[in-house]
Amino acid sequence: MNIVVCIKQILDPEIPARDFRVDSVKCEAERGSANLVTNIFCENALETALQFREAQGGKITAISCGPEGAEDVLRKALALKADDAVLVLNEAPNADPLFVAKTLAAGIRKIGPFDAVLVGREAGDWGAGQTGGLLAEELQVPCISFAENLQPSAASGAVKVKRQTDSGWELLESATPLVITITNHEKNVPRIPKTRDVMQSYRKPLVKWTLAELGIDPSTANSYYRVAELFIPRKETQCEFISGDTLEAKIDAFAHRVTDCMRSM
Amino acid sequence: MSDPQLATREVLWNISHVWLMYALLVPTVATAAYGIYRRVQVWRRGQAENRFDRPLERIGLVLKYALLQLRTWRKLYPGSLHAMIFWGFIVLTVATTVVMIEYDFGIPIMHGYFYLYFQSFITDVFGALAMIGVGMAGARRWIVRPTQLVYTGEASGILVAIFAILSSGFLIEGWRIAATNDPWGAWSPFGNLVAAASRPLMSVEAMKTAHLATWWTHLLLAFGFIAWAPYTKMAHVITSTLNIYTSRLAPIGATLRKIDFEKAEKLGINSLAGFTWKDLLDFDACTECGRCTAVCPANLVGKVLSPRDIILDLRKLSRVPRGDFAQSYVGTTQALSIEAMWECTTCGACVEACPVSIEQMPKIVDTRRYLVMEDAQLPETMQQALVSVETRGHPFRGTVFSRVDWTAGLNVSTMADALDAEVLLWVGCGGALVERNQKVVRSLAQLLEKAGVKFAILGREEKCTGDPARRIGNEFLFEQLAQENIATLNRYQVKKIVTSCPHCFNTFRNEYPQFGGRYEVYHHSEYLAKLVGEGKLSARTPSDKKVTFHDPCYLGRHNGVYAAPRQLVQISTRAEPIEMEQSRSNSFCCGGGGGMSFIDEPPNQRVNQERARQILATDADVVAVGCPFCMTMLEDGINARRGDRDTKVMDVAELLWQAVEHASSSGGRGDRAENTKPEI
Ligand code: SF4
Ligand code: SF4
Repeated sequence: MNIVVCIKQILDPEIPARDFRVDSVKCEAERGSANLVTNIFCENALETALQFREAQGGKITAISCGPEGAEDVLRKALALKADDAVLVLNEAPNADPLFVAKTLAAGIRKIGPFDAVLVGREAGDWGAGQTGGLLAEELQVPCISFAENLQPSAASGAVKVKRQTDSGWELLESATPLVITITNHEKNVPRIPKTRDVMQSYRKPLVKWTLAELGIDPSTANSYYRVAELFIPRKETQCEFISGDTLEAKIDAFAHRVTDCMRSM
Repeated sequence: MSDPQLATREVLWNISHVWLMYALLVPTVATAAYGIYRRVQVWRRGQAENRFDRPLERIGLVLKYALLQLRTWRKLYPGSLHAMIFWGFIVLTVATTVVMIEYDFGIPIMHGYFYLYFQSFITDVFGALAMIGVGMAGARRWIVRPTQLVYTGEASGILVAIFAILSSGFLIEGWRIAATNDPWGAWSPFGNLVAAASRPLMSVEAMKTAHLATWWTHLLLAFGFIAWAPYTKMAHVITSTLNIYTSRLAPIGATLRKIDFEKAEKLGINSLAGFTWKDLLDFDACTECGRCTAVCPANLVGKVLSPRDIILDLRKLSRVPRGDFAQSYVGTTQALSIEAMWECTTCGACVEACPVSIEQMPKIVDTRRYLVMEDAQLPETMQQALVSVETRGHPFRGTVFSRVDWTAGLNVSTMADALDAEVLLWVGCGGALVERNQKVVRSLAQLLEKAGVKFAILGREEKCTGDPARRIGNEFLFEQLAQENIATLNRYQVKKIVTSCPHCFNTFRNEYPQFGGRYEVYHHSEYLAKLVGEGKLSARTPSDKKVTFHDPCYLGRHNGVYAAPRQLVQISTRAEPIEMEQSRSNSFCCGGGGGMSFIDEPPNQRVNQERARQILATDADVVAVGCPFCMTMLEDGINARRGDRDTKVMDVAELLWQAVEHASSSGGRGDRAENTKPEI
């Protein structure tokens, strides 16, 4: 089976709250001294693919859409023994999910025939959770979301996918090719690479394509949606003492104050 | 015959067919030599390592630790019994050599006062001391039976053999004195006792017969022992002397080796093939005394880790004839299990305790390196800490603090702003990102400011020194961090570093030089003591609290700094600290080193609780520390153990700041004034 795993590089979501700043003009988070990391759900997706390959064989290609620096997350995927890695270079900082899905779809088509594309259920930076579904649409294949596990099926050309729902889980069987969005589960906790493999990952080939090579127009990076405003929610607390002569009067005044507040909200 | 100048005795009295002795000597020496040759062949299979530099220092070590047995003496009972046997044997060997010079080389030296004082009296007394030593060893091995000993037939056999050799020696001496009516017999008091006891019971003829038979028995026993010894732990007579000569000259903190990642075929060690000849010599030098395991904190709280058994099990493997050195030893015995490897706090107590300078702890780290780098196998929480170090530059996943939050309200600049800074205050991850320790660095910064020191911090440019990565076994990550930090330090032309973390201190002092980073490094206790000594700080309102001091492993044992923190306690309280039952080089780990503070220990096997017990036993009001890891480990330990006694954990800098600060005109607690200066 040919599996493609999409991997996104994001700003470390564990920046201490006090260190986190946003640039309200550019509408993006400030990097400061924080690091860029692999999105955790993408790591879960890669782990799911690695486990599937261990059991069933096959080939894993990791693909990312991002700036030159995104090479790091692909090198990590290579260190974890992904077979190939492709970086589609895109310098636009806040490309919207549709643009990313189109770019990834073009890249995946260029890679060749695939059986399954695994993506993280959402990214830890913007948390839109849309790329997977849009990508399936672009590739014109079915999509199963919130999957925790991928198994072979008895029928050829099909897979079994276990997905989480609000009330439990569902086991689906689907024909391939398809797109699966992966969520985290105790069984797909990302492994760590062996140092030897980390060292070797730098010697492995890594393919880079430009948007032009894929026939994508970079000016469409924000045509699907645009972030209108970005700010850190301000928490405000005000303290007020309710007065009254008797306990009953105090309770009465308190109740009135609460209903006033609710009305003005 | 009463002129002492003429005193002597007839060598080989009563003995004929002496040629037989010489004939027997040949197979004896050959067998012993073959035994040694076999060991040497094993060492030759090891990797290269230079341990022959600075010969004078090495000779000094041999004098101290082999001849004077300074480490062996640290335990009084086994130390004295060993010294008696050891010195007994030295004297008896010299005496035998004297006989050889007299008889075989024909040089008459066994005469007169030398004969009386040395050859008779001293030899006799030391022989008796050796007998007493053997008796004490027997009592320990067969009656007291402490767990630290290894109980083998071989060990018992050695004691019996030594006893038989010594007692037969006394018998032949006594019978010779009695049968020849030796006028100088009284100079050999113990031999004379045998003579006195035998006279009423035996005829001269009977004594001569018994002497003859016992002499040959004595000879056979002695020769047999010499031939057998190299195949037993008695080989340590040679191997441990060699091991002491070739031991590490740097402090324990500098014991971990660099890896050449370009050339290394395997990262870390999981088979004998990875060890150097010195490691292989370590195995052979072990005397099985068990002192390392007896002081191992992990072993003491009931974990499986036993440094002695790691050495002995590896030795056993190295002695398999034509053994396969490429075969993995990991998991082959309990001592070599993966579980044991992840219990070591790298406290160095084993290395410090070993009387023959064996380095147990580095072998554990070497094995961890293999597990981490070749197998990606390590406890999950340690792994998370390392992932955090890799991505965020610190091991404290989930901290809510930034590297500079602790400076709020203080006048602390960063190197980038303070171009005239003379001292870099290296805060360390533990100091900057763990709330309790922020108070410590605040006190330290205020003390430095008060003393007029021009200092600055790196702020957000600071990264983990790599100590946890190195101890957990990710040498690759450590090397990356070392290179990055050295580049940062060199960019600011840093010369002097002060840090309140002994782990950072050790890394700068002993490990960065391996990567070309050389700085003048002070632990904050040393630097503060220096400032007090120069009159730049004075404690005008010392506290009257009873204080005990907990030696951090990486400050004390690993680097030999014991005095400075005690001096600070003395200055801050006008009293020497109360010493715990284990302190200084014999101190007991807090349980947090070697990455162990990132592991959840089983509740009934917590090292910090054992240390807390020792702390509470001193009845002190405060236990002073000098390390952010000790701080958190001991606070937890004391919390779990505390009865009605409220012993506080405080850093020496906090103690000093309290004593200095109350005297200052500004007054007030160090942690106030949060809003006088904006965050940098
Ligand atoms: S370094 Fe400490 S914990 Fe590790 S084996 Fe030695 S004594 Fe035990
Ligand atoms: S390693 Fe050293 S301390 Fe441990 S048993 Fe052997 S000789 Fe004794």
